[in-house]
This record gives sequence, structure tokens and C-alpha cells, in this order.
Amino acid sequence: MVANGDAPARGSAAAAASLRRRRTTSGAGGGGSGASSMLQFYTDEAAGAKMSPNTVLIMSIGFIAVVAMLHVFGKLYRTAN
Amino acid sequence: MAGGFRVLHLVRPFLAFLPEVQSADRKIPFREKVIYTVISLFIFLVCSQLPLYGIHSTTGADPFYWMRVILASNRGTVMELGITPIVTSGMVMQLLVGSKIIEVDNSVREDRALLNGAQKLLGILIAIGEAVAYVLSGMYGSVSQLGTGNAILIILQLFFAGIIVICLDELLQKGYGLGSGISLFIATNICENIIWKAFSPTTINSGRGAEFEGAVIALFHLLITRTDKVRALREAFYRQNLPNVTNLLATVLVFLIVIYFQGFRVVLPVRSKNARGQQGSYPIKLFYTSNMPIILHSALITNLYFISQLLYRKYSGNFLVNLLGKWKESEYSGHSVPVGGLAYYVTAPSSLADVLANPFHALFYVVFMLSACALFSKTWIEVSGSSAKDVAKQLKEQQMVMPGHRESNLQKELNRYIPTAAAFGGVCIGALTVLADFMGAIGSGTGILLAVTIIYQYFETFEKERATELGFFGF
Repeated sequence: MVANGDAPARGSAAAAASLRRRRTTSGAGGGGSGASSMLQFYTDEAAGAKMSPNTVLIMSIGFIAVVAMLHVFGKLYRTAN
Repeated sequence: MAGGFRVLHLVRPFLAFLPEVQSADRKIPFREKVIYTVISLFIFLVCSQLPLYGIHSTTGADPFYWMRVILASNRGTVMELGITPIVTSGMVMQLLVGSKIIEVDNSVREDRALLNGAQKLLGILIAIGEAVAYVLSGMYGSVSQLGTGNAILIILQLFFAGIIVICLDELLQKGYGLGSGISLFIATNICENIIWKAFSPTTINSGRGAEFEGAVIALFHLLITRTDKVRALREAFYRQNLPNVTNLLATVLVFLIVIYFQGFRVVLPVRSKNARGQQGSYPIKLFYTSNMPIILHSALITNLYFISQLLYRKYSGNFLVNLLGKWKESEYSGHSVPVGGLAYYVTAPSSLADVLANPFHALFYVVFMLSACALFSKTWIEVSGSSAKDVAKQLKEQQMVMPGHRESNLQKELNRYIPTAAAFGGVCIGALTVLADFMGAIGSGTGILLAVTIIYQYFETFEKERATELGFFGF
């Protein structure tokens, strides 16, 4: 609930910032944004286990490493038998 | 908020467990965005080459070959599921919301959070469901062959890969990267496919001596080794069952046509009410809904194929089942291809010769494709909130008016263009897909259209990012 408490302020500030930016760049790019960003499914934030972007990257690389290790150990184990 | 039971609230207990990427709390510089995008892409590419551990074999008919390219999945690798879970859950949710089965108040923050949570949860559930279905259906060898331990390991790997794709996509969309992960992965996969078909150095022996798979390499190989140069050229241009130079040229041609059409737009002048002299423009593109119609169309076809194939395998004698689709193993690839029924008529003819041999099929296909695309396009603007009403509201919120028109007239004015652009744009996209299919472009018409539109979107994002960056420094 605490997280929910401070988040709206940030959200609205961000929205205001983007509005301001749009107005300063003369609104040329403002159009069509609804149509061009259709494949964007998760744009808002939900309260969940928060991760920094670097955590995500490290997690993925870790996953790749684990699968690679599985392959290596699989090979070793099979030749030992 | 009305009281009583709401479907969305079922998601709340799970919200705390869902992985979630922090939103960027500062403005990420362009260079950093590029780096994040490149690393994500690299991870995706490695994942789509890394074989799954513990699988026994990947032989046998591949029931999903037609959607591999579009869904960025690779057989027998960690990316077996590709982006299927995300795309499916996203579409299901959009449709549920659009048809008001799930009620969401977009102005309430909690509702949006719950909707996103629901989408992610559904995506993860779909990933698990598909992983279990793949293993149990014996795609990697039967479960008794694999052993229970390995079967569980495979499911775990597919599940984690699903979560990683979801996280990477979210990472890119939350402002750390450029564009969306889904479109990036689709485009990469299709481009990889095209490059491979053009320059693949693998040799295949199909009865006329060893031949290179790649069209360009084969051209030079044939020109050098054959004594009769004219026949060698003809062979390189028209050989069947392997990518030939005509296919490659068709692909390039379709690329150019789509890029050319992307520039077609109607520009409506708008003016800010607050700041005097602030002129702007609101462009309405011909491809207003971009690639959405073909994505929806291929989702529909995929499901039709899947159901029809399943039914045909079980009850091939039934009249209704045959009406839906008859299937046969193709002699080249070992894939099942539709040879009758509805499934056959909605499939693209394989070549121009096929069109001449069976004109009714071609006609039906074209009519179906065009009308489906127009229809999907018109539905999509309503569902996704880019209809005339929504755009008018958006412009009003930004205090923009059209000079020479009353404020209340804005929606009417937009209504003159937007539905037409959506329907006609859908038809054009459909027609281009048909054209690409008839010319035998590499990677199917749908695939190419997706790739080009996505690349174009990326190009636009790039330009916009660069422009804002410069604007920032200019202050």
C-alpha cells in the first residue's frame, strides 16, 4: 500500500513531463502514436517483485549459462557411463 | 467502481509474485537505449540457437511450421515457444477488454495495474501450458524415452525462457530500449530467415548433384560449374523447392513497395489553443493500423489450421471435418499441407502455376484475405482506442484545435478520414501480402509485411529519439 501511495504522483509527473515535451516539440510527433505502438502490451507499472533492468539482463545470461552447463554435464555424465 | 464481483480482482493475490521491471526514473540517453536493445537482442539470438537440454529427437512432422517465422520461435531450442505466450495473452486480454467481458476503468490506476498483472499472469500460464503440452504430446520423444526428470527439466527450461522473453519485452518497453521486444524479435527472426535463404552455404542433394541452399550462392555456383551458362541461369532463377533468385528479387520488390506506401498520409493541420503561433500537424497514415490486420489474420488462420489438423487426424472420414480441411504430407518437407476444404481455400497458392491451375482457389483466397484485413483493421481501431472519438479526445486534452473548425466538429472531421484510412489501409496491407505470396517472396507474404512495417516503425522511433535528444541539448 505504501508503494501504491507514492507511485501515482510519479506517474502523473511523468505524464505531465511527456505532455510538456510534446508541446515543446510542436506536437509533430504526437499523432499516430496510438496506431504505431500497438504491440506494446505492458506499458503501465503493476506492483510486483521489482527488478532493475540490469537484474533482468544478468538473470537471462545466467539462464543461458545454466542451460549450457546442463549440456556440458550431460555430455560428461554420458561418457563416464 | 461498482460493487460486486469483478474478474480482474482475481489477479490481485498473484500480483506480488509476478516479476516486474522498474520504470525508468530518469531519462535514459539514446546511446544507453541502443545498448540495452542490442544486449536484449543478443540474449534472444543466443536463446534461439541454444538447444534444449534433455530432448531426445525433434524429428517427425512439425505441426507449427507455418507460424514459426511469425512467432519468432525456433524448433528444438530454448526459444521453442518464442513470443507465443505474450502475443496470445495480449490478444486475449485486448479482446476481452474490447468486448467488455472484463471491465476496466482506464482512469483508475489500480485497474491498469491489475490488467497488466492479469496479462502477464496469463502469459506465464500459457507458457507452462504449452510447455507441458509439447512434452506430453511427444514432440521431443515420448515421455518414457525422456525419463521423468528430463521431462520436468524441459518444462522448466521452456517456462524460464517464457519469463525471460516477458521480462526482456517489458525492459524494452519501460523506456530502457527502443520499440517493443515483441516486434524486435519478430523482425530479427524474419530478417535472419531471409538472409539465410539468400546466402546459406549448406548443400542439399536433390537428385541433380549437390546444390547450395542459398539463392545467391547457388547462382554463382551454377554459373561457374555448369558449362551451359544459359541453362545454369535458368536453373538459378526458376529452380523449385529451394529458394531461387526470383524469390529473392520478389522479396526486395515487396520491401520497396511497402516502404513507398508507408509515406502515404493525410496531414491535418492543428493549432494549440494556449500558445499562440504553435502550429502542428496530425498525420493520418494510409497504413493507419500498421501490421495489426495481418497479425490478427494469421492468428485466426493458425487457430483454424490447428483445430482442423487435430480433427482431421482423429476423424478423417467425417463430412464436416473434411469440409473444414483435408491434409496431406508434403513430399519435400514432411510438413502437412492442406489439400481440401476451407483450410485449403484460405491458404495462399504455392506458385503462379498453381494460380492458373486452380483459379477459384486463388480468387477465394484473395477475396478472403482482403475482406478479413479490412474487417480486422476496422475492428482494431475500436478495440485499441485509436478511433476518431479517442483521437478527438486526445487532441482536446492536449489543447489542440483544427483551425477553421469548431471544437465540437473535430470528431466529425476526423471521422471523415480515420475509418476510411483504417479500412483502405487494411485492404492495401492484405493486397501486398497476397502479392508477396503470389510472387513467392521468401518467408511468406505475412512475414515480409511484418518485417518491413516493424523496421519502418523502428526507423521512425530512431528519428524521433534523435530529434528529442537534439532538442534537449538545444535548450
